[in-house]
Amino acid sequence: MRILFILLFVFSLSYANDATIEVIKKVESLPTMAVEDSSVSYDDTFRLRFFKALVADLNVISLFNVDRHHRKTHYNKSDVMVENKDVDYVLRYRMSEDDDGALNLDIKLISASNEVLNKKYRISRKNVYVFVSHTIAYDINEFMGAPSVEWMKRRVVFSRVVAPKKTEIVISDYTLAYQHTVVKGGFNVFPKWANKAQNKFYYTSLDGKKPTLKHVDIKTGKSKAIISSEGMMICSDVSDDSKKLLLTMAPKGQPDVYLYDVDTFKTKKITKYAGIDVNAQFMDNKNIVFISDRLGYPNVFSKKIDTNSVEQMVYYGKSNASCSTHGEYIVYKARESSNVFSTNTFNLHLISTKTDFIRRLTATGINEFPRFSKDGDAILFIKNYKAQSSIGIIRLNYNKNYLFPLKYGKLQAMDW
Amino acid sequence: MKKIVFSSVLMAMLVFSGCADKKPAVDEKTTQEVVAQEVEAVKTETVSAQDSSVSESDISKSDLNEISMANLERDLSTVYFDFDKFVIRADMQNKVANSASVAKGAANTFTVKLEGNCDEWGSDEYNFALGLKRASTVKKALIAEGVNETRITMVSYGESNPACSDKNQDCWAENRRVDFKLLP
Repeated sequence: MRILFILLFVFSLSYANDATIEVIKKVESLPTMAVEDSSVSYDDTFRLRFFKALVADLNVISLFNVDRHHRKTHYNKSDVMVENKDVDYVLRYRMSEDDDGALNLDIKLISASNEVLNKKYRISRKNVYVFVSHTIAYDINEFMGAPSVEWMKRRVVFSRVVAPKKTEIVISDYTLAYQHTVVKGGFNVFPKWANKAQNKFYYTSLDGKKPTLKHVDIKTGKSKAIISSEGMMICSDVSDDSKKLLLTMAPKGQPDVYLYDVDTFKTKKITKYAGIDVNAQFMDNKNIVFISDRLGYPNVFSKKIDTNSVEQMVYYGKSNASCSTHGEYIVYKARESSNVFSTNTFNLHLISTKTDFIRRLTATGINEFPRFSKDGDAILFIKNYKAQSSIGIIRLNYNKNYLFPLKYGKLQAMDW
Repeated sequence: MKKIVFSSVLMAMLVFSGCADKKPAVDEKTTQEVVAQEVEAVKTETVSAQDSSVSESDISKSDLNEISMANLERDLSTVYFDFDKFVIRADMQNKVANSASVAKGAANTFTVKLEGNCDEWGSDEYNFALGLKRASTVKKALIAEGVNETRITMVSYGESNPACSDKNQDCWAENRRVDFKLLP
C-alpha cells in the first residue's frame, strides 16, 4: 500500500511540473526595472510620450517587470531615486536638443549601484523618436544576452481602409506610434516590401480598369506600374534576393499562383487547380506554401515550384485561409467555431512540420495576416475585435502577445 | 497513527498537485495579452510619392453618355451570395436573367464590369479570391444568357468596399455581393 502511495506521489510530481506552471514562475522571477527621466529639453507632453514608448518597448522585450511610473531625476546624480532603490535595473535617460535642432539621447543602465551600460543616440528629426526608443530596447536586449530582437527596428508598411474603396498606404514602426502616409487618395491594397533595406515596396492599385501591381521607390518618390491582370493582382511574397515575386493573378477569372522574374519581366504559372490558389510564400528557392480550396475549404498546401505534386500541410481547422512560414514552422489562421459568426472566430496556430504539436497563439477576436519576423523570433498579425483594428506582436519564446491599436480605419494588409 | 498521518499527507499532496490530463491535441492555454498604451500618432507629412489617381479616360466622355449609363446601372441589380459560397442562389437567378437582358439590350454599347465583394470576415487574399469567384460565376451566367464574353470585365474588392458597415448578420449578407458597373 505504502509503495503504491509513493509511486502515485512521484507520478503526480512529474505531471505537476507542466509548461503552464513553468511560465508563471518565470514571470514572477523576472528582474524588475524602473525608468528615470532626466531630460533637459522639450515639453512635458513630449517627454511623457517618449517615456511611454520606451516603457512599451521594454515590456515587449519580455526580460523585465517594468515599473510604469514616470519619475524625474538629475542625470549625473550618483544614487538611483529612493523609490527605485530595491529595483534590479534602473534605466536613466536624458533627452537634449542641440543647436542644429537634433535630438540627443544619453542612457545609462544602473544595476546594484554600478553603471553597467551607457550609450548615446542622435537623430536629426525628433518626430522619429520612437525608433530611438526601439533601438534602446534592442541594445538593452543585446546587453542582457537574450535572442536578438532585430525585428524591432524594422518598419511596417500597411494599408488602411478609411471608406469604401478608399485606402491609405502607411509606413510605421511596429507599435504604430510613428506613421507616415505614403500613398493617399486611391484604392490601393496589399503593400509588400520589395527589398530587405525597406526602401522600395509593391502594392496593388484597384483604381484603373484592371488591378495593377505598382512599385514605389521611397527615396526618389517614383512610382511605376509592373504588371496588370484581370480580376486579381497581389504580390504575395518577395524572394530573399528581391529578384523573384510570387503573385496571385487571375487573367481568366481564375485565381492562381504565378512566379514573376524582376529582371526578365517573365511570368510562370505555378498552380493549375480550377478553384482558388492564393497567398503563396517562399519556403526556400525551390518550395512554396500556398492557400488552396482544393479540398472544398481553404487550407495550407506546399509544392515544389518545378513539379506538379501538392502536399497538404495542415490537418487541423475548418477554414485555414492565410499562413506564413519560417523554417520548419508554419503559422496559420484557422476558423475554429462551428458557429460561423460567433465572437471567437479566427485564431492563429503554430505548427512544426516535424512534430504533431499545435500551439494556439491567440484567444479572442478575428486574428489574421500572420507574418513571421525574418529570424522567426516574433509574429506580427492583424487583430480585429469589437470594431477596433490593432497590430499584434507574438513573442514565441516568452508566450506573450502585445497589441497596438490603430486610431482610425481598418487594417487591410501589412508587411514588415 | 503515524501511518495514517503519512497517508493523509500523501493524499493531500495528490489532491493539491491536481490531476494532470493527458496532453490535449490543441494547446488551449490562452496567452497573456497586454494592451500596450498607444502614444499619440506623430503628425504625418505628405511627401506623397504617388500620382493622385485621376482617370483621364473619363474626360472625353459626354455628360449625356454618363447620365444614360447611370440610369442603366440602376436596372442591373446586385446579386447576393451565402457565406463562403460563390454559387448563384435560386432567388437570384431572375435578377441575373434581367441584368443579362439589359446588358444585351439598352446597354449593349457599354462594357459590363462585375465587382465581387465579401463580408468583413477576413482581409486576406482568400477573401479577394472568393469575391472574384463570385464575379466569375455571374460572368458565366451572363454568357449563358447570350452576353458577349468580350464585353465583360471582372475585379474583386474583397472586404474593402462594404455596402453596409454595421456589425450584424443582415449587414454582412448585404456585403456578400456582385455589383454591376458600366464602362464606356
